[in-house]
Amino acid sequence: MTRKQTNRRSREAADRAERLIANYRPLPGVADEFIGPDGAIRPHWMRFVETMADLGPAEVQHRFALADRHLADSGVVFRVYGEENGDERPWPLSHVPFLIEPKEWARLEAGLIQRARLLDAILGDAYGEGWLAADGALPAAIIAGSPEYLRPLVGARPVGGHHLRFYAVDVGRGPDGRWWVVSDRSQAPSGAGYALENRIALSRALPDIFRSFNVERLAGFFQDFRAGLNALNRHEETRVALLTPGPLNETYFEHAYLARYLGFVLVEGEDLTVRDDTVYMRTISGLKRADVLLRRLDADFADPLELNPASRLGVPGLAGAVRQRNVAIANALGAGLVEARAMLGFLPGLARRVLGEDLILPNVATWWCGQTLERDHVVAEFDRMVIAPALGGSVPGLLDRGAMLGSAITPGHKAELIRALGRRGADFVGQEAVKLSTTPTWRGTGDEARLEPRPSILRLYVARGRDGWTVMPGGFCRISDQPDARAVTLHQGGASADVWVLSDEPVAETTLLPSPDKVALQRVTSTLPSRAAENLFWLGRYVERTEAALRLVRAIAGRHVDAEHDGAAVVERLDAALAEAGSVDDDEHATPSARALAILTDRGAFNTAPRLAEASRRAASVIRDRLSPDAWRCVADLEALMQQPLEGETDSDILERANAALRLIAAFSGLVHENMVRQHGWRFLETGRRIERGLAIARAVRYCGMSGRPGELDALLELADSHITYRIRYVMLPARVPVVDLVLLDSRNPRALAFQAERIRQLLLELPAHAPAGLLGPADRLATRLAAETGTADAAALGIDHILGFERDLMRISDEIALAYFTHRRPAEPAEGTA
Amino acid sequence: MLYDIRQTTRYRYAAPVPFARQVLRLLPVARAGQRVIAADLVITPAPTERHDGLDFFGNRITTVAFAFPHEALTLETRARVAVEAGPPLDANATPAFEQIRDQAVADTDLGPTSPVHFLFASRAIAIDEAIGAYAAASFPPGRPILAAAFDLTRRIKADFAYDPTATDVTTLPGDAFAKRAGVCQDFAHVMIAGLRTLGLPAAYVSGFLRTLPPPGQPRLEGADATHAWVAVWCGRDIGWVGLDPTNGVQVAEDHVVLAVGRDYSDAAPVDGVIVTSGDHELDVEVDVVAVA
Repeated sequence: MTRKQTNRRSREAADRAERLIANYRPLPGVADEFIGPDGAIRPHWMRFVETMADLGPAEVQHRFALADRHLADSGVVFRVYGEENGDERPWPLSHVPFLIEPKEWARLEAGLIQRARLLDAILGDAYGEGWLAADGALPAAIIAGSPEYLRPLVGARPVGGHHLRFYAVDVGRGPDGRWWVVSDRSQAPSGAGYALENRIALSRALPDIFRSFNVERLAGFFQDFRAGLNALNRHEETRVALLTPGPLNETYFEHAYLARYLGFVLVEGEDLTVRDDTVYMRTISGLKRADVLLRRLDADFADPLELNPASRLGVPGLAGAVRQRNVAIANALGAGLVEARAMLGFLPGLARRVLGEDLILPNVATWWCGQTLERDHVVAEFDRMVIAPALGGSVPGLLDRGAMLGSAITPGHKAELIRALGRRGADFVGQEAVKLSTTPTWRGTGDEARLEPRPSILRLYVARGRDGWTVMPGGFCRISDQPDARAVTLHQGGASADVWVLSDEPVAETTLLPSPDKVALQRVTSTLPSRAAENLFWLGRYVERTEAALRLVRAIAGRHVDAEHDGAAVVERLDAALAEAGSVDDDEHATPSARALAILTDRGAFNTAPRLAEASRRAASVIRDRLSPDAWRCVADLEALMQQPLEGETDSDILERANAALRLIAAFSGLVHENMVRQHGWRFLETGRRIERGLAIARAVRYCGMSGRPGELDALLELADSHITYRIRYVMLPARVPVVDLVLLDSRNPRALAFQAERIRQLLLELPAHAPAGLLGPADRLATRLAAETGTADAAALGIDHILGFERDLMRISDEIALAYFTHRRPAEPAEGTA
Repeated sequence: MLYDIRQTTRYRYAAPVPFARQVLRLLPVARAGQRVIAADLVITPAPTERHDGLDFFGNRITTVAFAFPHEALTLETRARVAVEAGPPLDANATPAFEQIRDQAVADTDLGPTSPVHFLFASRAIAIDEAIGAYAAASFPPGRPILAAAFDLTRRIKADFAYDPTATDVTTLPGDAFAKRAGVCQDFAHVMIAGLRTLGLPAAYVSGFLRTLPPPGQPRLEGADATHAWVAVWCGRDIGWVGLDPTNGVQVAEDHVVLAVGRDYSDAAPVDGVIVTSGDHELDVEVDVVAVA
């Protein structure tokens, strides 16, 4: 490259940098991250803009697309709460990170740790001696009035000594340039997993920039947090469990992601049981002690016996186990108490009273209206304040959606609020309305690309590690879509950004401290909760059942296209098999083609391909922590594909769709086969598939393997994917006995029934035995017999009754597995009809 | 007054229950004006686990678990309790209700009898502006708390119909208020909702009521039932005073306290999680016999 070219290039880059920021105008009266109070661009930001400009517009687009694809491929979604079907949204990433300088970070870090110490101490007192209330430092009514003050936990001392172990703070930069705490999250803070994903996505897309900026790494924080929890695991019968409300929760993705990342077992309430004030996990090897729970379930729902009786997500008796100090829960049940907004007004005084220190980070000025002077102040300044619920998320009838700007409240509503303030002031706070700082976001592409300011808020995390509090050097930045929005939440549309804490020195690639819990090598992961086993089993069954339905559909559609075969009679048999497999209305779908189409596309009837694909996805969604992202992707793609309308209704359209879906299933099978470690989870998945495949081939033989007509036998070979083997073995037209022998009884043919039976027998032998004294369990006995019978049967002598007997045995094996390993459990989606 | 109390609660399940875990509040404890001379709870069949203890509000709770299939459950309480009414109160000499409101929210005690626990919405009782407006008619400015609360007690007795078919155990106070009908639990809930909406602390009390026999006749065995009423906080000096809106009376020696809480869900005699596919039948018998 000549000097001249280099010069021109850097001049172009300089021009691009200039264009990127030419129209960047901070909002009046609002602090900005990019442009300092002196009107000059902050140096670290300028460096970032120049680096991006150096990349060139095409490269920038490419990099951003890479980051987006990473997030989509990892299945990063958040769910709109309470909607069962689908509404999972891709996670919007704002590609410009939020940059924080080392000096500023040091102060934030100190402020966060101080706050964690303070809130933990307040919780200890509120659930303990109550001194802070008694001496007037904190009104007793604020504690007693919080819906998160859980009375059954009063007097319970948490195992490990801390109510708080994972804590998040929402902070924003105020107009004066200082950081302010907007709210505290002590119940079960979300977002840390998303922060990790954002980090991975962006650091992979901008690896060179990421390295050159000396960005602090996140891994050490999580390792320390994990070590802190592992240290509480005294019996080590199970790993630390992450207790989730389940796949319908809006942040379920994150629960599964964190469980996998931290090496914890993902459990729902049903996976746990309390016996004699001790918590056990139901596993395929029986009940195992669970010593430590990382809780993502709201505390009130954690125990229907002593807390919310309407909860179906909790563990009856859990509060009792906590009182007996038989389980450590992070955060402790009741830790949500310190989220109450009314607390904010008292924290400066409490910091001096409890810690003997001034608060390093101020919080939003807050007036609790349970006090006369404060209430009068709020009433007088009503229009300049935010009026908010003091103790919970809402005040029914008055502040149904939480906080409101005083100036935005209608006169009639204001009159009601002021009357309520007089009678029940304790339910309300007035808060200073804070305008958050703006941070640069990337808008447009190519030469049109510009940086524009948008309001933002940071969520930062503090965890209890092995030896004390530790702060995540990074976080989760929420960015508003609207230039003037004050409240930033993702429900209102918006994006998230990675938070880069910059260091003056190069940052080590990997964390410095070896985590003590990582040293011992392990080849076996012992704890498989029964519910996870059951969902793996059903995932296997549903995927295989989808495949069988698709193969039948394909065979029917192919018979029409391919005139060489004697279509009608064969199609009739295939159609009968299809009618048994699926269940679409006979009257509505008079022809085999119409039925094949219905099985392929009907989302209303049972056991159609779209319904089966959906059932597969649901079963998979419950055990996402146990599937690789690629395998999950296959199942999700399969469902998505089956939901799409067909382009046309011809046999070619049907064939194309069936083939596309079968390819996805083949990919899933390949991933499971090649990438899943041979542990119990894999065995359940595999057993489910083998049972279902055995059922499908037995059924196919009953319909197409009994008459001996060549067309039917040809179809049977196709269904069993055994054409080539047959042709190599027998240089002749399909004949009944050799075909049936090949697809049913040849234990070396991976599609044959005998092969499935033998595999099932071997798989069951490797599962934890529930049969006493070394005797075979009922499932083992059935499988052993079935393997022996199919392995020794004579194809010429095999009648329909024999085959029906094989199918019954397979279904009984399924039932016995359920009894032995999943008792009292429902599958993710109960299967209609069969099994 | 000395009472012998016998309460028998029988559950019959349509299908065997393989597992159950329950919290029972079926044993009285000593409280101001009440002494427990003897109290015993017999559970049939014998549970797999049983723990006796006190809950936050000082109620005696028995936590039981049954880890075997059972088709019936019988809970039998026997107790001898002495009840002594305190010196009569001059309702008109109690503090103005506004003063009670300010005192309650500023109370510094977090203990179980502190008014702060009884000021706010609870699981079964929401703050309800409609009930608040109804209650407000008894609370003109400056009226002494007990006089006003007693007036509200009598108005509920007069305005509401006692009708067991109008409501069930899960009925919310707003619904019972709209119907102006219900049973003791509903009347207590409505009164508490009214008081709390006005910023006044009110507690839910469950227990037994001795039905006074008509003159010259023997009292009817088994005619009594589990009862519920309200306790209103009348300031630090007086404390809690019982008011019974079902009967329109102030509580004296005819009421025996079983459990106290913010609402029915804190004081429910039987609360639990059972694994079952079927329905159940419930039958409760109570005898409260004055022995001296």
